[in-house]
Amino acid sequence: MTAPNTIEARGLGRDYGATRALEGLDLSVEAGSLIGILGPNGAGKTTALLMLATLLRPTRGSARVLGCDLVSEASAIRRRLGLVFQDATIDGLLTVEENLRFAGRLAGLDGYGVRHAVDEVIQRIGLGPLRQRRASELSGGWRRLTDIARATLHRPGLLLLDEPTVGLDPEHRERMWSVLDTERRERGVTVLFSTHYMAEAESADRVVLLARGVVVEEGVPADLQRGVGVAVAEFEGPGGAAIEAALVRENLAATSMRTERGWRVGVREPHRVAQLVAEVPGGVTRFLLREATLEDVYFLRTR
Amino acid sequence: MNALSTIHGIVARDLQRASRQKSRMLGGLARPFIWLLLIGGGYGAITRMDGGSYRAFVFPGVVSMAVLFGGMLTAIATVYDREFGMLRLMLASPAGIGVILAGRTLSAALVGGLQGLAVLACAPLLLDAPAGRYLAALGALSLSALSSGALGLLVASRLRSVENFAGVINVVLFPLFFLSGALYPVSGVPSALRAVARVNPVSYQVDLMRHALGQAPEFGLILDLLALIGSSILALALAGAWFDPERRFLASGRGAQR
Repeated sequence: MTAPNTIEARGLGRDYGATRALEGLDLSVEAGSLIGILGPNGAGKTTALLMLATLLRPTRGSARVLGCDLVSEASAIRRRLGLVFQDATIDGLLTVEENLRFAGRLAGLDGYGVRHAVDEVIQRIGLGPLRQRRASELSGGWRRLTDIARATLHRPGLLLLDEPTVGLDPEHRERMWSVLDTERRERGVTVLFSTHYMAEAESADRVVLLARGVVVEEGVPADLQRGVGVAVAEFEGPGGAAIEAALVRENLAATSMRTERGWRVGVREPHRVAQLVAEVPGGVTRFLLREATLEDVYFLRTR
Repeated sequence: MNALSTIHGIVARDLQRASRQKSRMLGGLARPFIWLLLIGGGYGAITRMDGGSYRAFVFPGVVSMAVLFGGMLTAIATVYDREFGMLRLMLASPAGIGVILAGRTLSAALVGGLQGLAVLACAPLLLDAPAGRYLAALGALSLSALSSGALGLLVASRLRSVENFAGVINVVLFPLFFLSGALYPVSGVPSALRAVARVNPVSYQVDLMRHALGQAPEFGLILDLLALIGSSILALALAGAWFDPERRFLASGRGAQR
């Protein structure tokens, strides 16, 4: 018997007055998986996360989160939910330990439970030397790690993170993902995050691409990348339009997109592209043949 | 158990914050003594109340002032929590908004109550009252502190941003205080102002303190108690509706359209 999905959403949508922020989200998330939500600003990512966190009521649709109904069993969901907002939610006047104790109390842990959980999470995330330090004295990276500690100390079954790595340097970003990876491997925590960083999303089990409140693409990152083409040809210059037309005519282009400065074409047979570029009159000022990335999928589907 | 733990966490955090905002705490403690010295001393030179000095008359009002400012300002600081995301964290807790408001009310009441207690401790220097009166005053102070916390949360629930915070003191706190009978008997003011004073919950805080300290009250004891309990429940119910996460996210624009 397989474990039930952590999230099962059907047509989950939300309006703000006359504005339709999220059309209707269909989402099935297996327990223990890592799911990335991508999309430009205003796509509905935060709205989706806030609804799944029971902080916003859906205008339409329904969902079960951690086996509970999103609307009628919100309190039960919150007990097993870890939530990380875009800005670190810790109190600058309190020490790291006091912030974590506060979070433990908010989660409903009793005195012993709080002490135990705080000691455990401080050790797990390596916050020991900062334990008595005021949060206002921490760097942005350590504030975020304290925030992750806050969100995980009560051992949630689901972690929702809204653009958690914005403003972090590579070292702290790496450390944060390492902590989340440990949560998944050792505790089976399901992680759902939104991000603008495509490289981060490429390590997800699945990604959901939102644009203007609608899911425009969903799947395993490698499959989505393959959908763009075997490789991607980027070119700029006076002969760009002619090259793009030739690639389409020769049936070499799987996908094609005009960018600010040129073209980005997903190609089927990379070895024939360089030859074709050389043959087309007009020439190019820049030519690059590379592997398809999730960024290509993002631009292709959200423009 | 969950609810008690959550309230414990909120109160502990607010007391920790208060203990680290030393200038604010010292200001809160100094304010009533300055008023007692300047207003009590100044008006005392030209005014004589029935049955005692003006300073003795104004003393219950100044105790109430310490409680009111300490309690309300601590509760109104919830607007900072909303601005910096801590309120969203609290509202996401399984305990629910009612428990969060109860915790905030209690912590505001503790801060206001402690500031009022510091003034009340000076009562033997000004009043000649038996020990039982001070016990009654402690009860009045506790109820007034809870009432102030509830009123502060009501104000915070309507504030859009921290920029409005300073204005609240001038537009809300001072009028509530001046129209409470703390500095002069409300019975002597024009009828329109008297009507406002009658619907002002702080009037009943001051009056309850007068009952407790054996001074001539303006209202009956039962009316004071009912008015304070009723207005606190009403304030918390309205604050609960206005602090609804749904309204908060829409009001701040955060969450929407992202």
